[in-house]
Amino acid sequence: MGLLIGCSGDLSVVDPAGPAARVIATLWWVMFIGAGLILALVVALVIGAFRVRRTEGDAARDEKVWIIGLGLCFSIAVLTALLAYGLVAGERLMPRVAADVVRVQAEARQWAWRFSYDDRPGYITENLLHIPAGRPIDVAITSRDVVHSFWVPRLAGKLDAIPGHVNVLRIEADAPGTYRGLTAEYNGEGYRRHVFSVKAHDPAGWAAFVAEGTP
Amino acid sequence: MKELLRVLLPLLVWLASFSAIYGLHGLGCASGWTEVALPVMSLFRWVLFLAWSATIFFQLLLLLALRTQRFDTTSSFIRRLSITNSWTALIATFWTLYPIAVSSTCG
Amino acid sequence: MNALRRHRKLQAIWASDPGWKGWTSSVNHSDLGRMFLFTAFFFFLVGGVLAMLIRAQLATPDSAFVDAGAFAQFFTMHGTIMMFLFAIPAFEGLAIYLLPKMLGTRDLAFPRLTAYGYWCYAFGGALLLVAMLFGIAPNGGWFMYPPLTGPLYSPGINTDVWLIGITFVEISAICAAVEFTVSILKYRAPGMSLDKMPIFAWYALVTSLMILTGFPPLILGSVLLEVERAFGLPFFQADLGGDSLLWQHLFWLFGHPEVYIIFLPAAGVISTVIPVMARTTLLGYGWIVASIMALAFLSFGLWVHHMFTTGIPLMGLAFFSAASTLVAVPTGVQIFAWIGTMWKGRPELHMPMLHILGFFVTFVIGGLTGVMVAVVPFDWQAHDTAFITAHLHYVLFGGFVFPMLAGIYYWLPLVSGRKRLFRLGELAFALIFLGFHSTFLAMHWVGLLGQRRRIETYDAESGWGTINFISSVSSFVMAIGLALVLVDIIIHAFVAERSRRNPWQAGTLEWAGMSPPASYNFASLPEVSDRTPLYETPDLANRLAMGDGYLGAPKAARRETLMVDAASGRPEALVIYPGNTRLPILMAAMTGGFFLSILLKLFWLTPLALAGVAALALVWVWQLGARADQGLQEAGRGAPLPLASEGDRSPGWWGSIFLLVANATFFGSLLFGYAFLWTVAPGWPPAQWFVPSWAELGLGTGAALTGAIAQHLSARRNRAGAALMTALVPALLATAATVVVFGLMLFRLPPPDGHAYAATLLILGAYGLAHALLVMLMQGFLILQVRRGYTSPRRRAAFAVVALWTDYLAAITVLILLAVHLPGMIM
Repeated sequence: MGLLIGCSGDLSVVDPAGPAARVIATLWWVMFIGAGLILALVVALVIGAFRVRRTEGDAARDEKVWIIGLGLCFSIAVLTALLAYGLVAGERLMPRVAADVVRVQAEARQWAWRFSYDDRPGYITENLLHIPAGRPIDVAITSRDVVHSFWVPRLAGKLDAIPGHVNVLRIEADAPGTYRGLTAEYNGEGYRRHVFSVKAHDPAGWAAFVAEGTP
Repeated sequence: MKELLRVLLPLLVWLASFSAIYGLHGLGCASGWTEVALPVMSLFRWVLFLAWSATIFFQLLLLLALRTQRFDTTSSFIRRLSITNSWTALIATFWTLYPIAVSSTCG
Repeated sequence: MNALRRHRKLQAIWASDPGWKGWTSSVNHSDLGRMFLFTAFFFFLVGGVLAMLIRAQLATPDSAFVDAGAFAQFFTMHGTIMMFLFAIPAFEGLAIYLLPKMLGTRDLAFPRLTAYGYWCYAFGGALLLVAMLFGIAPNGGWFMYPPLTGPLYSPGINTDVWLIGITFVEISAICAAVEFTVSILKYRAPGMSLDKMPIFAWYALVTSLMILTGFPPLILGSVLLEVERAFGLPFFQADLGGDSLLWQHLFWLFGHPEVYIIFLPAAGVISTVIPVMARTTLLGYGWIVASIMALAFLSFGLWVHHMFTTGIPLMGLAFFSAASTLVAVPTGVQIFAWIGTMWKGRPELHMPMLHILGFFVTFVIGGLTGVMVAVVPFDWQAHDTAFITAHLHYVLFGGFVFPMLAGIYYWLPLVSGRKRLFRLGELAFALIFLGFHSTFLAMHWVGLLGQRRRIETYDAESGWGTINFISSVSSFVMAIGLALVLVDIIIHAFVAERSRRNPWQAGTLEWAGMSPPASYNFASLPEVSDRTPLYETPDLANRLAMGDGYLGAPKAARRETLMVDAASGRPEALVIYPGNTRLPILMAAMTGGFFLSILLKLFWLTPLALAGVAALALVWVWQLGARADQGLQEAGRGAPLPLASEGDRSPGWWGSIFLLVANATFFGSLLFGYAFLWTVAPGWPPAQWFVPSWAELGLGTGAALTGAIAQHLSARRNRAGAALMTALVPALLATAATVVVFGLMLFRLPPPDGHAYAATLLILGAYGLAHALLVMLMQGFLILQVRRGYTSPRRRAAFAVVALWTDYLAAITVLILLAVHLPGMIM
């Protein structure tokens, strides 16, 4: 995959490092190829109009071919497939009930993130979120001031932090490591610098992190 | 004016029912209808299913009505246009609300 | 009378005042259409310069060209200008200029309203420009999400400039939309039934209806946010029962239809130009009309797809995802109908066709990425990245700018009567096309690599430098191309040779007049029996000039045209237009005074400005009155017709209907907001309910209904020639009672700055009160007209208009009082 060179990056959507991001990256490649084929079809048809010289047309037949055939049937067929695929993909990303889910809270303000942990009550980190690798995490996201958005591109899609509401996002990292996170809704002059990191621990590291909280 | 209304009516009904069912969905999630278990499925899904069936039924009636002599118009163009729009509205009602049948509810 | 004498006579009646002063008093649609287009493209230039600044800043990593604050003003103003001050007004200008010519009539339905709309646009746009020059331009992003734009986090005047300036400009969109709707339905050439309308008119009709129902939610949102900022009513503050999501709903309830409001007129241009360029007729006219309507309606069911990341439950998202994919079907139908049209005919590569090819490639890519982001999971990644910026530029540039450029080159010979001399346009097209695609294709990719939209710079380590550099350089290539188009047009205006009439050999009526067009468009109005009258009757232009059609015998100093039956196009009435006047510009200035008084917090000025607007409005209507019956009029071709003002369905009645459609949407959005806050916002129920009163509820409902009934009774008595005051005075008194009820309600509200509940009731009450006062003003005016002898059983138009507004008042009064009193009774 020579393309991979152009895809990698610690904020890259197409360089997934978790199941949710992987589902979406696959979705993207499928749609990208499909879109390329459709574009090629349309361009070929437009060029064809200048090249092909027909003698006499029949209005009813033209309508059947262009409007019913291509306009209605072709579009509906493609879109039905895509919509079904999108819905299935969406369901796979939902925060389902599971035994080993880890719960953390993320609270945004201008321009910092504050994280707290169910497994380690009372402990708070600023701009650094600790998670265990290989386990599903539910991040409960909210805001203290304006609208922000929680986004770790290599792990999952984004979800907004809205004052007065708590939104839950399911993320998961395949392997231990540090992943970069961003705020993704314009929130004032400090927007660009409003970033954070996610540190995914191996089981031992996570156990140590949790244990530090218990005296 | 009557012609305009005749042409727009099916689509207006779609928009109204689409918005209403979206509103119903919000209301149901807010008042915990998903927790009320009824035979086959939850109260939430029953309500949405019934609303969905009702609006499909209504669109079908509209389509039939627009084809009858009784609501005919002098212009064949208007007649064809309103029937096409009625089909569009029927398909849209089915298509845009089908998540009721398959999607998870309030997650 | 020969053609030249007829021309001179009509010219004397229809011409605007000479010199630049004529601009301020002109009500002619050709003048105003040109003014709209000039101003819109001026703003396109300003927006373009801002885009260049943005691209210059982003060209290299760690750029220190501008700081975050200035950058925020740049991107906010770039979006705002392109959406509100370029795209919509450019459509308005094009339609104002073309519609009467295409429909075979002499002007739009309300010439003075056209002028008023223009001046509101010019003044409102100037307000935003001045703010930008002073460095106090809006800076919250063009969709202005609170709480960031609320009083707590944006205390400066920047946001107020946006809310007030844009609302001011939107008046022009609403005016134009009412105008187009009535003109297309009622002001056409005789015989032009709905199925014989030029396809552009269908696009303009549907677009106008969309403006009428799409803009009010944003106007409401702007009002609420401005009221929150100025008076502390907490509509968007979560801790006081408000919800910032309400803004997002209201904004996108406008914002998504807006995209189609911009695209549809451009699609109308394409549907007009392609058949002519391919020497054939449009394939599937009826299918296209149906797909325009489907598109219009579906676009109102998409707004939540801008909010996929706000945490709405998946099923809710799935509804909108489904609707968002479905909307691609009618778009696909049109695209394939256009390609089919090209296959049907023999397309020729003239200048307009080049831009249409540009449209095909660009818009199809934009549509395909649009379908991608309609798929919820992908949007969770793409949302708020450069991918979205790239997508929306593909849609808007492909779906609006390319078609508009095609339209400019297509209609330029009509406007100027000349043909192009140099082949500058071809070079310009190549630069624009290549520049555009290199700029924005690259941007998709950098978005997927994680570049957010609206960041003012990025680190060198991000690896985005090369892509951004390519993007910036290409954007300058595109800018050079657009500048060349401008040069091409300027050259065209000064050095070019006369073109023959109808150089493209089109079939629609705009080519049946003179080029450049005469102030009156047609010396006589054609009788139409086909979609392409010029193909059927090639010498139509000469026959019209010789007075062969309707209204070919101009009477002294009367601007005349015909009103037709909406469906069949059968002539119904004769319309007499008002002449040149400065009333519109005065009224727009007074309206501007009202908006300025709020912006600058000069609240003593507000009632004065409102009174001024009301006084001018009364003069406006008073000028239409007549003190003697005119009876049936000769309209040519042996068909005597009544005057439009001597019947129940006057232009004013039609205008009121569609204005009320917009008004009702505003009111409906307000009720939606009330219900939304109630069910979704945190911090409900409020601590204190409004104390309900059966007496007020009963009195208010009774008064409103009585007023409406009495008003209808007066219309009936007038037709019968009976005494009128016995009905008119009770109607006025009943409305006065409604005013009292709303006043009492507002007086008894819980403190409106304490909770969004009371704040919403305040807006509901104020809305009712304002309408009750407005109806009182109308009823008082009608009484005055009756007393001064301006009405008769024939001259009865005003009765029907006032009755419409009284009915509306009755409906909203009942709804408001129920919404206000019921909760307190139940809770």
